Amino acid sequence: MEIKNYDDIGELALDVIREVGSIGTGNAATAVSELLSANVRIKLPDVKIAGFNESMTMLGNPEEPVAAILVQMSGDMNGIMLFLLRMDFINAVLGTMLGKTVSDYTELDELEISALTEVGNIIISSYVNALSGLAGLDIDLSVPAISINMLGGILSVPMIELGYETNKIMIISGKFILNQQQLDSNLLMLPDIRSLNKLITKLVAGHE
Amino acid sequence: MNKEVTVGIADMKIVRQEGTLITYALGSCIGISFYDPMIKLTALLHIMLPKCSNPSDTQIFKFADTGIQETLRRMSVFGGVKSRYICKIAGGARMFEVLGSSSLANIGEKNIESVRNILIKEQIRLTRQDVGSNYARTMRVAAETGTVSIHTYGKQDIIM
Repeated sequence: MEIKNYDDIGELALDVIREVGSIGTGNAATAVSELLSANVRIKLPDVKIAGFNESMTMLGNPEEPVAAILVQMSGDMNGIMLFLLRMDFINAVLGTMLGKTVSDYTELDELEISALTEVGNIIISSYVNALSGLAGLDIDLSVPAISINMLGGILSVPMIELGYETNKIMIISGKFILNQQQLDSNLLMLPDIRSLNKLITKLVAGHE
Repeated sequence: MNKEVTVGIADMKIVRQEGTLITYALGSCIGISFYDPMIKLTALLHIMLPKCSNPSDTQIFKFADTGIQETLRRMSVFGGVKSRYICKIAGGARMFEVLGSSSLANIGEKNIESVRNILIKEQIRLTRQDVGSNYARTMRVAAETGTVSIHTYGKQDIIM
């Protein structure tokens, strides 16, 4: 079944997307575990389809500062991967990699920012690699870009990118747990509708 | 009374005489305020994209062209007169430094250009603007005076 709208996605397809997401996030968790030499797990991902304003509310306060790493997907899948991280995750990474912590985003220097970008890039690539392997899709990833700014402004980027074709976005998100402690971070995958169709066709068709 | 009305993404609100209109964290989107000083009528519009390409899209406030058109129509219903309007805009940032000329890199710029062109065509005075650069802006408009304040992360507020 070809979908035209995110609302058309059936329960089965959503389950499959959730399942694929959990394999992707599992892979990402392993990557982070190795990087930080710590026990990292990811909660079972959530898949939500929501309007622009609603998805903003779901992810936090639009004015709160966050660090975000963005990678664009192209090839068999088009869309945006976004990794949002907040202070506790930043300090877990900086503490392990550079042996220091910061108390505010404005204290981050260039070296720290590039370390965070790299961690975000590793998490995103391992997620996408798991997904592309499973679905047999060839997905190219762009060079990562980072922005440290208000959450609302950051989320407007994928919304605008998808804005011509939809008034809703699909957010597949996972939360990291480091040494039993839940870290405030989200890994978001925002595919366009054509790509979502491909994914569903590849993964769900065999089950129906 | 200090009533605060929130304008969402791809949304528009109008207030009269009193209250504050607020739209949060404009990234590449643009906030456009219209103020009719004679009758203290104020509108705030939050657009995401420069131009509507699909006439059946129902979210008309998502686009600069259809959004401004509809805002002007509704203001005139409340007695607003276009030649009196004072317009101020904020947003159009480039949130991520991405390589190449992808739409993602340039959309803020395109939004600014489109909004400016439409305002010229409509012969509306654009008196103040805080646009471009690489950070998000929260925009507040006081209905009584049309004064706009811009709040950003890690910087001083701007009054315009």
